[in-house]
Amino acid sequence: MKRIKFIGMILSMCLFFIVSLADAKVYLDVFGKSYKKITIGVPPFKVEKPDRLRMDMTELLHKDLDFSGFLIVAPPSLIDKELTDEGIEKQEIKFNNWRSIGIELLCKAKVLEKDGELTLEAFLYDTFDGSLMLAKRYRTQTGEWRKVVHRLADDILLTITGEKGINSNKVVFASGSRSRKDIYMADIDGQNVKRLTNYRSICLSPSVSSNGKYLSYTSYKEGRPNLYVFDLENNREIFVDREEGMKVGTSWMANKAILAYSHTSGRYSTIYTFDVDRKDKRSLLRNEGIYTSPSFSPDGTKMVFVSDMYGTPQIFVRDLVSGDTKRLTYSGSYNSSPNFSPKGDLIVFVAKFEGSFEICTMNPDGSNQRVLTSGGINDSPHLSPCGRYIIYSSNKGGKSTINVMLFNGENKRVLRFTDGDEVQPRFVP
Amino acid sequence: MKFLAVFLGMLVLVGMGCAPKAVQIPPADQQQLQSIQQGKYDSQSDKKFKDGEVLEEELARRDRDRMRDLSLKDQKSAAQFKDVLFDFDSYVVKDEYFQQLNETGNWLKQNKNIRIIIEGHCDEKGTVEYNLALGQKRAEAAKAYLAKSGVDAGRIKTISYGKELPADAGHTEDAWARNRRANIKFD
Repeated sequence: MKRIKFIGMILSMCLFFIVSLADAKVYLDVFGKSYKKITIGVPPFKVEKPDRLRMDMTELLHKDLDFSGFLIVAPPSLIDKELTDEGIEKQEIKFNNWRSIGIELLCKAKVLEKDGELTLEAFLYDTFDGSLMLAKRYRTQTGEWRKVVHRLADDILLTITGEKGINSNKVVFASGSRSRKDIYMADIDGQNVKRLTNYRSICLSPSVSSNGKYLSYTSYKEGRPNLYVFDLENNREIFVDREEGMKVGTSWMANKAILAYSHTSGRYSTIYTFDVDRKDKRSLLRNEGIYTSPSFSPDGTKMVFVSDMYGTPQIFVRDLVSGDTKRLTYSGSYNSSPNFSPKGDLIVFVAKFEGSFEICTMNPDGSNQRVLTSGGINDSPHLSPCGRYIIYSSNKGGKSTINVMLFNGENKRVLRFTDGDEVQPRFVP
Repeated sequence: MKFLAVFLGMLVLVGMGCAPKAVQIPPADQQQLQSIQQGKYDSQSDKKFKDGEVLEEELARRDRDRMRDLSLKDQKSAAQFKDVLFDFDSYVVKDEYFQQLNETGNWLKQNKNIRIIIEGHCDEKGTVEYNLALGQKRAEAAKAYLAKSGVDAGRIKTISYGKELPADAGHTEDAWARNRRANIKFD
């Protein structure tokens, strides 16, 4: 419990830093130094007879916890035989020994396998006072062992930080080569890669509705870029916009089956909403020039979008109740691809610097802009459902890959799914 | 290459059409076909061709189509459409392309049966989504210029490919300049 208080203190310190630096443009590696990662020990899971699976499961938990960016996983070499052989119950653990090698949190687990069914029993202890922070039992089929490890990792993160991790999340993205791209869905760890389209054509800009039921995307399969909404449960197309011109840039409202997208044709651009349940298409905003990349605040009262109304692409926010529009970005000649955090506290976007395009964040009022990447063409940032991770594409002169990092730019990881050029990643809610 | 492809396609079609009769086209007749393809006739081979079992009417019809296609092709190949290039993040048609677009416009006014598609493209810089919209605006800008010069706008379609179909796969300033383009294709 003290640990939680300690972390709370760290987080409030971070907040203090954010507030105190609100007016200055700060590179996040400086900001990032203000919080300390916690060291966790994960000795090999206990099993009846040691086998490959036990090691695989332990390794995956190591990977997941490390991937979170909030924890340092003690290297296996640090944990000697005596510590490894120790039991998993509180009374069997000598917390002093763990503390002496610098381990602050300890996760112990036991795996039982019977008739193709797998049970994972896990405990999380604070080595400071030996208090039990988490006790969980997970059941699944043996073949699905990755799932329970991901769930355990997310539950550990929930216990420590108050929010689940993204280890159990799925992502959608477009991947392929010149003149052919398809939409894929995959687990964030690169497993279960599934191609959702197969039209020998270009498919782009996938986005999944907040209930996980509908996929929207733009495809050239009928010769020109039309916008499609696909029902993933019933495997059928439920809406197509075939109007002349470009239809692209879909995003869904939270908790509603309402989609927004932009349509550019002739002199005008229009941002439409489409209510899937009511089959109702409405024009939200129509003007000369380019209006694109709409994204809603979690309460649905605000929409950020990109417009070139002042000559270069800049980000604006529109109050959907009052109809007022406010410009958010003033620095630089190119600010684009905004995405509102599902938590409502942050907007992530792309800005041009010299020759590069970087992922940046700002507060919903445009203040506190920060640059999180350095170099290359970084694009299509999207915040995780928990609001702490940013998934984006990055191209440093070769292939475009999908990357993930923390909201402050720390803990950057390259994710690998297909052999193609991977672009426009989105978390599946 | 194209001729060869058409020719092979025809062979396949003819082959399929004749399958019940199991007629094989002798090498000599294949030569005939080829010379027909190339628009070369001589009465001798023409006669020999009529004697053959190959579906005469069908071939004659194809020949007519081919002549029409050829004339359309001649007509099209006479048109020399060049790419209109744009500055980064711009969809303004620059002065230096006015002359070129005027020529395109004049040609289109003389060849009223031809319909075109203007494709708008972008370089690899910038975001995928914004570039898709930007490509549309580039195509629309070229279309608006042609329409203003008197070409019926109804004959011009526009399509944007954003940065999906670069003309030059390089990552240099030159490659990017070539890729920021509107190019004209026949509909």
